[in-house]
Amino acid sequence: MDDIYLVTVVSNIGMISFIALSAYLLLVVGEISFGQQAFFAVSAYGSGIATAMWGWPIWLGLLWGALLAGAAALVVAIPTVRLRGLYFSVATLAFAEMVRLIFEIFTYQVEIDGELVGPDGSDGFRDIRAIYDSNVSAFEYMLIIYGLLAVVLIGFLILERSRLGAIFRMIGEDPMLTEMQGLNVTVYKILAVVMAGVVAGIGGALYAHLATYVEPKIFNVMLGVHALAYGLIGGLGTAFGPLIGVAIDIGLLESIRAISGYRMIVFGGLVALLLIVRPRGLLDEAAVHWLRGRWRELRRATH
Amino acid sequence: MRIVTTALALAAMLAAGGGALAGERVAADVSCTATAERLTYDCTIMLEGRKSGAPVEGAEVVVKADMPSMPLAHNVRPVKAAPGSMPGHYSATLELEMVGEWALTLDVSGPTRDRVVRKLRFGGTAEDTGHEHGEMKDHGGDMDHGAMEMEKSH
Repeated sequence: MDDIYLVTVVSNIGMISFIALSAYLLLVVGEISFGQQAFFAVSAYGSGIATAMWGWPIWLGLLWGALLAGAAALVVAIPTVRLRGLYFSVATLAFAEMVRLIFEIFTYQVEIDGELVGPDGSDGFRDIRAIYDSNVSAFEYMLIIYGLLAVVLIGFLILERSRLGAIFRMIGEDPMLTEMQGLNVTVYKILAVVMAGVVAGIGGALYAHLATYVEPKIFNVMLGVHALAYGLIGGLGTAFGPLIGVAIDIGLLESIRAISGYRMIVFGGLVALLLIVRPRGLLDEAAVHWLRGRWRELRRATH
Repeated sequence: MRIVTTALALAAMLAAGGGALAGERVAADVSCTATAERLTYDCTIMLEGRKSGAPVEGAEVVVKADMPSMPLAHNVRPVKAAPGSMPGHYSATLELEMVGEWALTLDVSGPTRDRVVRKLRFGGTAEDTGHEHGEMKDHGGDMDHGAMEMEKSH
């Protein structure tokens, strides 16, 4: 049982890392989104429908879910990226709640082998069994999750060293100054929102196929707030920041069994404390810069 | 020929103790009652074949609990259910982290392999849990930590 438990916890850390990275990307461009759970949800349902109801192969289902989440993000981005600060946050929260409420009434079922399969409003969507039926073990699926997470993380690290990454950070620092450089801030922000949607979508599709069951309640604001908090705890200086945030919440706090029942309270306190003492998280830009400097010195010393 | 095939199928069923057919989807009925220990519940799981209606005997049942409204937040240790006194009955003790609605994932393996998800509301008083979806099952007068069954369908 302990093995199943450990694999579940590690898989959860991996899956939630996608939505944490998604919220982190938007924090980098200076936007606070309370609605990344919507893209997680769209992909969970979309990929589930594709594999469980239309019989698509799992890889195509994952791709479809991620693209669907990207498309949903584009729909949100076009009217909202011109909004600043709190207005963008409120708009994303409203969109996410709208998505959740749509899934509360969304019913689309087909009969497969004498069983009704598909979303059934608030009763949820059961039997997303593409992974379960193909006898992929929990451990193997965990490796798939981490393989995809590694690909996304490498993508983030490349992005951060690229011109696009520099533009994203510049927008986050000062959008008006970026505009004065002749860059179209709106277009870059739309691109960031869509990329963040796709990343959250990968997590959503993976989640639906591991759990085999999703329901609208899963995608409530709590998931979005956590996603946001992970970046704020772990730090906004590097893509490893939100992963540290996830590891602290699910890994560290979970391992301290004495506080397991009060984890949410401890987590809330931790967020509040860090916002006061380290507003841009543990691995903020200054910390990353310092670490890079030490790393360069170390390399120079060894040569 | 058909008579022989039917007889063979019946013989196979009898040899298997009249249990659910291999590969058949499983229907589960779960009811939980609170124990004297806080947030600990004794659950009875009844498994039967969805088509045959025959009890699923000799299965290994692993119960995992998740809270839909707090996804990925509660990592409750999965528990292995023990066979009960009646055919197709299993029992498991769940240690949850808080009251509210939980989704129990039952992983069944052995004579048939299946996964069934059941939603149950744990805790609260008889007044505030509502009765429209199921029957309140409680004991020991500790109504604050009671559990109720929410659904009985597949």
